Amino acid sequence: MNIIEVHHLSKVFDLHILHEKRITALHQIDMTIGEGEIVGLTGKSGSGKSSLMKCLHRTYLATSGEILYSGLSGAVDLVKADDHEVIALRRSEMRYCSQFLSVIPRVSAVDVVAEPLFRTEKNKDLARERARELLEALGLPSALWDAYPVTFSGGEQQRVNVARAIIERPRLLLIDEPTASLDPKTKDVVIGLIRDLKQYGTAVLCISHDEYTLDRLADRRLHLQAGRIMPSVTEAI
Amino acid sequence: MSTDNQWLLRVRNLTKIYGEPGGRTLELTGPEFNSNICPDTDSIVACAGISFDLYAGEVLGIVGESGSGKSTVVKLLYFDLEKTSGGAWLAPYEQGHANILEASGQQKRRIRNYLMGMVYQNPREGLNFGFSSGGNIAEKLIMAGQMHVGGIRERASYLLEKTEIPVRRMDDTPATFSGGMQQRVQISKAIANNPPLLFLDEVTTGLDVSVQARVLDLIRELQQELGIAMIVVSHDLSVIRMLTDRTLVMKNGRIVESGLTDQILQDPQHAYTQLLVSSLL
Repeated sequence: MNIIEVHHLSKVFDLHILHEKRITALHQIDMTIGEGEIVGLTGKSGSGKSSLMKCLHRTYLATSGEILYSGLSGAVDLVKADDHEVIALRRSEMRYCSQFLSVIPRVSAVDVVAEPLFRTEKNKDLARERARELLEALGLPSALWDAYPVTFSGGEQQRVNVARAIIERPRLLLIDEPTASLDPKTKDVVIGLIRDLKQYGTAVLCISHDEYTLDRLADRRLHLQAGRIMPSVTEAI
Repeated sequence: MSTDNQWLLRVRNLTKIYGEPGGRTLELTGPEFNSNICPDTDSIVACAGISFDLYAGEVLGIVGESGSGKSTVVKLLYFDLEKTSGGAWLAPYEQGHANILEASGQQKRRIRNYLMGMVYQNPREGLNFGFSSGGNIAEKLIMAGQMHVGGIRERASYLLEKTEIPVRRMDDTPATFSGGMQQRVQISKAIANNPPLLFLDEVTTGLDVSVQARVLDLIRELQQELGIAMIVVSHDLSVIRMLTDRTLVMKNGRIVESGLTDQILQDPQHAYTQLLVSSLL
């Protein structure tokens, strides 16, 4: 069963303040992500990887085409869905993990990670316990758990970011370069944690430039070039 | 999947015009003319045709430059100003069937005391500087029918503690407080009766960055804990980014664009929003 089915998706940016310049980021994309499947998304910088991911998250408005998402309470076209519907999905079953942590001032690392659980888990201590387990697994020194991530190094922030993205086992996980600034040992942990989500049926789209990560993490790869999916590399590797 | 019937506040065609409008006032003003002054009559269109739904627990941002009409919208909804036309419906009032802007004065006071709270940019608008901070909160509780003195003091200390005001300063007047503390007393007062809806009008404007962060934290925490729906008016895009789920962009009294906040900030569609976002430091 497919959780995501993308048909003829295109994205054009109309830059009204730059002399009506038009930039086409994605041309007629077709792709799927199955239940429990991890799809690696590759391509050079500027090939449209992040644009595709952001269209799936509705951070970018697609110009044409459809993105059918098979959610827990029915199917929805994310291109046309009402904003409120998208907000409800983001709160419950869809998670986007960007390359950089967008830190919330004065919130501790544990709470940043546990926050997605706070909406459903009334017992905050239980949510925090789960957050500590994840941070422990990711090797974030316990001295940092109650500190503010704004002061953390790139690798430390990334671990907080990944932990926050997977803590509630989303149905759809969009994750951008999850291992970019990590040492080999922590890389393996992150790969293992994301692969663990397969048993819950999570569909994962993962952008990466890292062969090591892609080899071990992805079930299949999609390669983007100048906003198009390259046919030769879309088959299972 | 439908989420259509979950609105807490529904606003349709809300319009406020100062002065006598002519037949073409609405046609000749707005972002395409870069003006909200009618060339025929000199009347001023503070806001026009404002429509949106706010869901329970949702945080909606309204951004725009000074004079775009963003504060007018919340002031109309909080009955600080009289509408020229349009309507607003609140789900918990008459099951959402009665236009609150046409309610009687007495009913409006009831709605304000039970169903809404407002935090103004200027604490002097939201607080009575002749009363103590506790007295300000008590005033709101008494208006909602709380008469038991012990109960009132207990609730006031709970709220002050919640908003990080030392309870021993409960009997001091807001005039003796710093700007950030005044805002936090205003917030305590606004949420005193557990309203489902809170308006925040430029609440962090003019505060130091560290004080700002503390006020924003408090708002986020209250939202998470109590699930209050909020309308956050601000010209500061970082405040909007941090607090809101969805955003309306206003210019010359009209909504030029609305969408998910991250979409508005990263993929703005309207020329004005593109300019606004590209001006972000």
